[in-house]
Amino acid sequence: MDLLPTPEQDEIVTTVRAQLDSDFDLHSLAAADGATRVIGADLWERCAGLGWFGLGLEEDLGGVGYGLAEETLLFGELGRHATPGPFLATVLGARVAAQVGASEAAAAILDGTAPVALAEEEAAGAGDAHLRIRDLDGARYVLVVATERVSLLPAEALAATAVESLDLLVPLSIAPLPDLSDPVASLTGDAAGLLRRRGTVLVGAELAGIATGCAEQSVAYAVDREQFGVPIGSFQAVKHRCADMAVRAEAATSSVRLAALALADGRSDAAFLVEAARVVATDAAIGNAQTNVFNHGGIGFTWEHTAHRYVTRSQVLSRTLGDRHDHLHALLDEPAPG
Amino acid sequence: MNLDLTDEERSFRDEARTWLREHLPTEPRPPEGDEMRAFDLAWQRTLHDGGWAGINWPREYGGRGLSDIQQMIWYEEFALADPPFTLNNSCTFVGNNHGGPTLIACGDEEQKATHLPPILRGEVVWCQGFSEPGAGSDLASLSTRAEVDGDELVVTGQKTWTSYAHVADLQELLVRTNPDAPKHKGISWVICDMRSPGIDIRPIRTMSHVTDFCEVFYDEVRIPLANVVGGIDNGWRTAMSTLSFERGTGFMADQVELATTVERLIDEARVRTGPDGIRPAIADDEIARRLATARAEVAALRAMTIAGVSRNARTGMPGPEGSMIRLFHGELHQRVYQLALEVIGPEALRLTPVDGEGVWTGPYLQSFAYTIGGGTTDIQRNIVGERVLGLPRA
Repeated sequence: MDLLPTPEQDEIVTTVRAQLDSDFDLHSLAAADGATRVIGADLWERCAGLGWFGLGLEEDLGGVGYGLAEETLLFGELGRHATPGPFLATVLGARVAAQVGASEAAAAILDGTAPVALAEEEAAGAGDAHLRIRDLDGARYVLVVATERVSLLPAEALAATAVESLDLLVPLSIAPLPDLSDPVASLTGDAAGLLRRRGTVLVGAELAGIATGCAEQSVAYAVDREQFGVPIGSFQAVKHRCADMAVRAEAATSSVRLAALALADGRSDAAFLVEAARVVATDAAIGNAQTNVFNHGGIGFTWEHTAHRYVTRSQVLSRTLGDRHDHLHALLDEPAPG
Repeated sequence: MNLDLTDEERSFRDEARTWLREHLPTEPRPPEGDEMRAFDLAWQRTLHDGGWAGINWPREYGGRGLSDIQQMIWYEEFALADPPFTLNNSCTFVGNNHGGPTLIACGDEEQKATHLPPILRGEVVWCQGFSEPGAGSDLASLSTRAEVDGDELVVTGQKTWTSYAHVADLQELLVRTNPDAPKHKGISWVICDMRSPGIDIRPIRTMSHVTDFCEVFYDEVRIPLANVVGGIDNGWRTAMSTLSFERGTGFMADQVELATTVERLIDEARVRTGPDGIRPAIADDEIARRLATARAEVAALRAMTIAGVSRNARTGMPGPEGSMIRLFHGELHQRVYQLALEVIGPEALRLTPVDGEGVWTGPYLQSFAYTIGGGTTDIQRNIVGERVLGLPRA
């Protein structure tokens, strides 16, 4: 039993980190704020070339052959860097296509020529039920995730309308519920549930990564920034907020790893641990992102600083594949583990 | 990263489960006095005879020389066995989790050979003499004096917040042996015989009605110099090793038990009438969400504990990261019992003991200790900030 990465897994993290630092710098990406497509085709294919989209997919399905643990490390780094782009739906979509033998679609997704948008039904309220889609422009497919069914459709099957997005690097649109009767690939029942659960772990990993990134950003600033003639990190008020951020990040990261391993091993308490990890990671990401802005004072309130990226991304992710309320209820419905 | 148990760990778990089923006491723990001491020591002897004492202690001192993972598996099995008492709520806690591990880390061979086996065999009760009226969070400012006289130390002063002093045989005692040195450099960690002439023990009643809390007065108490552990004037380092054990593995049992406490609370919420006076408590949306959050957070605590064990296995010593677990655990423990009082409705006004089956209000009152004892959460935050994150000291 060991919850820390092996040297080989650390190597994956190092490689991902270097790539994100060079190609996904948030200050450069700010040029794409509000664009309908944020990550260009070249960069997307470069990520494909690194094996990111099939990292946890079995080799006989065309993947790299690592597991969910390694995928959580990748998504942890995406969160830590607040990296935009259709990573989640692409990784999940490749798996759906490969599992049902839609090999042409799977290959195109894995080689980066076919990005996948993510669509979920949005609570209807007074209006008609509709899909909320992220990263639709540039996508060849859209992965429609519902409770009982996960469907991969051609992107053009949606009659989508762009809407203003809280996160300017996560383009949003809405569309009427599409016809799901002729998908490129689909999963139902337990297979759909398992895929959704894998996705929940990856969203949890991204949220935990946000919590970690925010804690690191605050600590770096608290060491560097001086007021009253000393670094602000020497003040107990600031130090204690940083300590709380580190604890939340540690709780989230450890929870997600435990959940990923339990799910990969098919353990009976996997569903419990996945829901628990998602709740803890959500609270850690949103809490740390908000505190991080405050720790930076006026600088943290500016557009130029990246602190607000974590705030909006954590809000987007906390409502991806279900929201906090959904996951709390799912957790309480699980039988006690042990 | 893996959750696999080795064959050895798996058979260890199965043996523990079987043994606990056959040997776990069914009678409740007596709440105070000599009966309590006799109960705690008898249980320690039973553990020892069954081979479950000192699981992660070295073999040469009577331990089993097994890993922290096996120690954690033991705690998990203990909690799952539905015990009638809390593992750490015992006068054997300091011997097993502070004094013993400190001797293992810093003691000389004679000290280890003399003192470690009796702890495991359930023959002695240890208590702690660290805090003083003027030295709480600023522990290094302690002023209990010890002067060298021949081959003895002569100790005069006062300690406080000493649990079980009235039933203890020995004490891990911090004294100032050099008043002229900087405050961290003139302290010694000594083993004090609690039956020595000149010791006066007075009970302190706590807000949870527990009677084992004490203050201890020392009037020219003579302690052999041979009882100094880790070198004279070097007691701060010795004490820090004690505290790192406490922040590392010492509270693992409490952490594991909290998970079963939350499950018991969820069971209560299913059967007790909720705030609307009609439906069960769990049908109340706010209570349901808080129970679910508690479930998520105890699962996180377990994950952090496993991560901590993984980290210790690589470094060989509990590091400052243990303070993150202590901090998270202390505050979560309090939140769980605060929530419990909302779940149990009118029962919240009935006082119960702090330990036993189906009790909530006693543990609620006791839960305030979890963010104070062993270094307040403010101090834990300082440790995380300075020693884990590298933030500058004030």
